[in-house]
Amino acid sequence: MAGVLKKTTGLVGLAVAQNPLEKLRIVYTRVLTALEAIPPDAAYRKYTEQIINERFNLIKLEHDVQKVEEKMNCGQVEEIITQAENELSLAKKMAKWKPWEPLIDEAPHNQWKWPI
Amino acid sequence: MAARLVSLACAGLRRGFRNSAAGWSVSVSQTRFEGSTPETRPTVRPRNELQRNQLSQFGEYVAEILPKYIQRIQVTCFNELELCIHPDGIIPVLTFLRDHTNAQFKSLADETAVDVPTRPFRFEIVYNMLSLRFNSRIRVKTYTDELTPLDSLVPVFQAANWYEREIWDMYGVFFANHPDLRRILTDYGFEGHPFRKDFPLSGYVEVRYDDEVKRVVAEPVELSQEFRKFDLNSPWETFPAHREPIELPKLDAGEKKPETK
Repeated sequence: MAGVLKKTTGLVGLAVAQNPLEKLRIVYTRVLTALEAIPPDAAYRKYTEQIINERFNLIKLEHDVQKVEEKMNCGQVEEIITQAENELSLAKKMAKWKPWEPLIDEAPHNQWKWPI
Repeated sequence: MAARLVSLACAGLRRGFRNSAAGWSVSVSQTRFEGSTPETRPTVRPRNELQRNQLSQFGEYVAEILPKYIQRIQVTCFNELELCIHPDGIIPVLTFLRDHTNAQFKSLADETAVDVPTRPFRFEIVYNMLSLRFNSRIRVKTYTDELTPLDSLVPVFQAANWYEREIWDMYGVFFANHPDLRRILTDYGFEGHPFRKDFPLSGYVEVRYDDEVKRVVAEPVELSQEFRKFDLNSPWETFPAHREPIELPKLDAGEKKPETK
């Protein structure tokens, strides 16, 4: 029933998406290519690839939007698309920041001691 | 007959006294009332081990992804996750927590500072975040001193705008890249940062209307009674769980133990 659109997402500012699964497929491929810029042993790349591949496989098998929403259990498709786009922008920023490197600087002595 | 009555009365009294004596001795032995049913509503908060474990696992997950900035993870006794990070990592860590699919902390609930003057980096900036998707909260802490600027969080969370203005006004922590960093709570010409621990309770200036110059003037504060500070220390140790280990003087190799008399 790909032709049937719901009237509204119920969320302010989030429009109903036409072809949500197609859009998701595109965004997920873009995320996976963005993750190529990160070294393969970085924890961020491993975990994010795991999440994205899991969701990607779900979309490949399931073609009904309602069933996808139920199985993913993460809100409506439009919200899932937003999450994927956020992950894409984050992946690009992580490639610049390189947070998998070891700690920059240890905290000064007794900085985190509580009570003083 | 009167004697009989008296003896009866005496007997009655004696019986009464014996009974009451028996009752009195029970209360004297001071046993607590222990009911037969077990306590169903204890006044102590029950430990939620599941939530505690979930939070600590999430904390370890974040620390594995961002080892460059995270110096410490802790879960408080009230099941609150805290990440202590290096000040360079404010924007990376908070952007990660906002954008990552497994985190999604979309709401910046609060941003404050804590002043601990004994530390070299006296101000501890605290960010509280809420994830609506996963119904979870997290706290991120950094440190700075009076002169080192921190990166502003406004490019990441618009909510941080007024919070950072307040921290600047009250503590004097400067935020780089803030769109509009100016005073928000103090008076227009106010000097000083009131929430610092070395700023006095009554302040340095007081204002009054002066009829000669027909405006409000600020003058040094004059207290009618000198400030009284009470040292409300209890004679008992307040934190027995946080005792410092006693440091005994150490002997280097070759030295003899000083002789005690």
